[in-house]
Amino acid sequence: MTKENVQGAGEEEQQAQSKKALKKQQKEAEKAAKKAEKQAKLAAEQQETDEDDFAKDRYGICPMVQSQQKLDRALVRVQDLTPEKAEQQIWVRARIHTSRAKGKQCFLVLRHQQFTVQALLAVGERASKQMVKFAANLTKESIIDVEAVVKKVEQKIESCSQQDVELHVERIFVISQSEARLPLQLEDAVRPEGEGDEEGRATVNQDTRLDNRVIDLRTTTSQAIFRLQSGVCQLFRDTLINKGFVEIQTPKIISAASEGGANVFTVSYFKTSAYLAQSPQLYKQMCICADFDKVFCVGPVFRAEDSNTHRHLTEFVGLDIEMAFNYHYHEVIDSITDTMVQIFKGLRDRFQTEIQTVNKQYPSEPFKFLEPTLRLEYKEAVAMLKAAGVEMGDEEDLSTPNEKLLGRLVKEKYDTDFYVLDKYPLAVRPFYTMPDPNNPKYSNSYDMFMRGEEILSGAQRIHDAQLLTERAMHHSIDLEKIKAYIDSFRYGAPPHAGGGIGLERVTMLYLGLHNVRQTSMFPRDPKRLTP
Amino acid sequence: MPMYKSPNVHGHGMNCGEHALQNGEVDPSLKALEERQDEVLRRLYELKATVDGFAKTVTTPDADLDASTPSPGPAESVFKGTADLDSLLGKDLGALRDIVINANPARPPLSLLVLHALLCQRYQVLSSVHVHSSVSAVPPPLLSCLGPRHIDSYARQRFQLGFTLIWKDVSELQMKFSTQSMCPIEGEANVARFLFRLLGAEPQDPAAATQMDCWIDKAVFQLSEGGSKDRAAVLRSLNAALGRSPWLLGQEFSLADIVCACFVLRAGQTTSAPVNVQRWLKSCQNLGHFDCVYPFLQ
Repeated sequence: MTKENVQGAGEEEQQAQSKKALKKQQKEAEKAAKKAEKQAKLAAEQQETDEDDFAKDRYGICPMVQSQQKLDRALVRVQDLTPEKAEQQIWVRARIHTSRAKGKQCFLVLRHQQFTVQALLAVGERASKQMVKFAANLTKESIIDVEAVVKKVEQKIESCSQQDVELHVERIFVISQSEARLPLQLEDAVRPEGEGDEEGRATVNQDTRLDNRVIDLRTTTSQAIFRLQSGVCQLFRDTLINKGFVEIQTPKIISAASEGGANVFTVSYFKTSAYLAQSPQLYKQMCICADFDKVFCVGPVFRAEDSNTHRHLTEFVGLDIEMAFNYHYHEVIDSITDTMVQIFKGLRDRFQTEIQTVNKQYPSEPFKFLEPTLRLEYKEAVAMLKAAGVEMGDEEDLSTPNEKLLGRLVKEKYDTDFYVLDKYPLAVRPFYTMPDPNNPKYSNSYDMFMRGEEILSGAQRIHDAQLLTERAMHHSIDLEKIKAYIDSFRYGAPPHAGGGIGLERVTMLYLGLHNVRQTSMFPRDPKRLTP
Repeated sequence: MPMYKSPNVHGHGMNCGEHALQNGEVDPSLKALEERQDEVLRRLYELKATVDGFAKTVTTPDADLDASTPSPGPAESVFKGTADLDSLLGKDLGALRDIVINANPARPPLSLLVLHALLCQRYQVLSSVHVHSSVSAVPPPLLSCLGPRHIDSYARQRFQLGFTLIWKDVSELQMKFSTQSMCPIEGEANVARFLFRLLGAEPQDPAAATQMDCWIDKAVFQLSEGGSKDRAAVLRSLNAALGRSPWLLGQEFSLADIVCACFVLRAGQTTSAPVNVQRWLKSCQNLGHFDCVYPFLQ
């Protein structure tokens, strides 16, 4: 081999190497050039976006409100958005009920409690594409603050509660974002049952609602129901206070079962056990013997009845009345029925919005009543039932189906959903019921019905210790267990009578609903202890 | 015993009667005289009352008026017939038989108020007035239109009949009794016919019964629902009929008089009504059953 060959080979190698290197360099250069081009393009686009988003100060997600500042801003409620506010620029805080994008526009429905209003955001001078996109992507149920101009609309917006106006949005900020996946859809939760079946759209079953009560309570129907229930309680209190009644509080942890052994909850009480009160009965009466004359109390009642029906709860709110009278227990019936009539009138006159809202999802006949309240005697009821073909004994208790039938017969004849049935047979009443003075088979006791279902059971109470002892023995009740109760009548006791209603049941029947769980915020029954 | 005897100033020749007089006892002949005097006075009073009664009777022709009772209140029941309540109202099942009437407070059914007063004289009636929730308020006179509450109203089963008046937003007056076996009766005149039957006073003669129905229909269709021409025509018919007899059906007071009088009174302008009609209205008033109606006339 010559030196020249080796040199030549080296040179060739070098040349080959440099060729490779050149190629590599070229490739890298191309890559770099492409990258640079891309970056330049992106940069250009970014600039473009930033430039186009002239609205970026007018929307966004607010930092969590930790009371960083005290803004003196007035927020208008959705229910106050009416044509009177047309052309005004206002701030509203509400939830996103629905949001829907359509090209360059976004339609939102904002909701606050029972009220909804339509809001519109369109790409234009005030809103950029990005802003509209942001609004359309907001999750349902998120709480937002919106600044908007109120505009009158020509055609009524049937699907909202505020039908005569809509909002033209200027600014939109998120105060509290909701997770995207909701356990139930609110629009399904307010859909009437029939509609759901017909159109194949979902409704929400009761258990799902109760499991996710916080969301279910947000529906317009639930808001209306519980506002009305609050009204019942308030009317009850106001009417009785005006009649000179005193509100009392009675103990719920007691030493002996008041109504009858089986249906009582036991609690451990230090080294022994105690019971949860089945009714304030005994204590109401003791207050009468203590000269309070007219008392009422509002408080929980606990019944350990393993009844899984549409109208039973293990815990409910009892509204109870007890009153001393002069000569005849009808004085007390008149007082109780007048209180109920005042409640019905108050609901009829001041809660029409709520009643209509509930009727949208659960249609029913309006509640009818007479003033003064209709009072029929037990014998008349038996006669009416017999005339309708029912076979029953004169002193037999009314079964639930018979009560319902009687309700329908009374409705047909007198056109009232509320009435009193007086003079029940003695045998079917508790031991402390005063017997009828003329006929020992009957008693001075009464039930009151709404839409054919019993809401109140009451009577004149025995206020004589001797007679009370006899009647207790007749019912085979252990006298030791009720010694304190009987003792209260030994030192002068006025004649008295009373009765109690369940808040949830009265609300349910007034609105014509069919399950008491709909009118109990967090219901308790044999199968449910939470939420 | 007196200490001494003083001469008797009353007269001479008295024997045991002397002592009797001084001791306060009465001479039998004097007693007889006093008794005759009392009897004469009593008969005089009776006659006077009878004459007073007749004075009324001249303007108020009704053979059944008991003229010796000077009471100014409603006379004894003018209808003495008997009605079989069981066949009209169904078997008595031992409970109050309650008649329910739904009326609009804008048009109080005056003839039914009169019939109610008549029913109360014949039977033990438990009357109640209610306001239905379809009406927000009712003037107080309408609440007390059936009179004061009966003392025994706490014991419903002591009464033979119930009369329950409900002021309600209805377009047509309506009566319900036994919803299982009777359909509702509509219209004031028809309910009046039903209640009249309970008094057992329906005319037995078919011609009279038809005439009665005729007068009632005139009242309903022409007096109440007709124009001023119709009203004038009815008043002329009434005037003509009442020129021939004291009451519309002749000598007997009947439902025709009750219904027509109430409808005439309600139409108003009774001072410009024809002579016989005015006299007849006064007779109705004198009977006393129409007292309940006057508070509702303008």
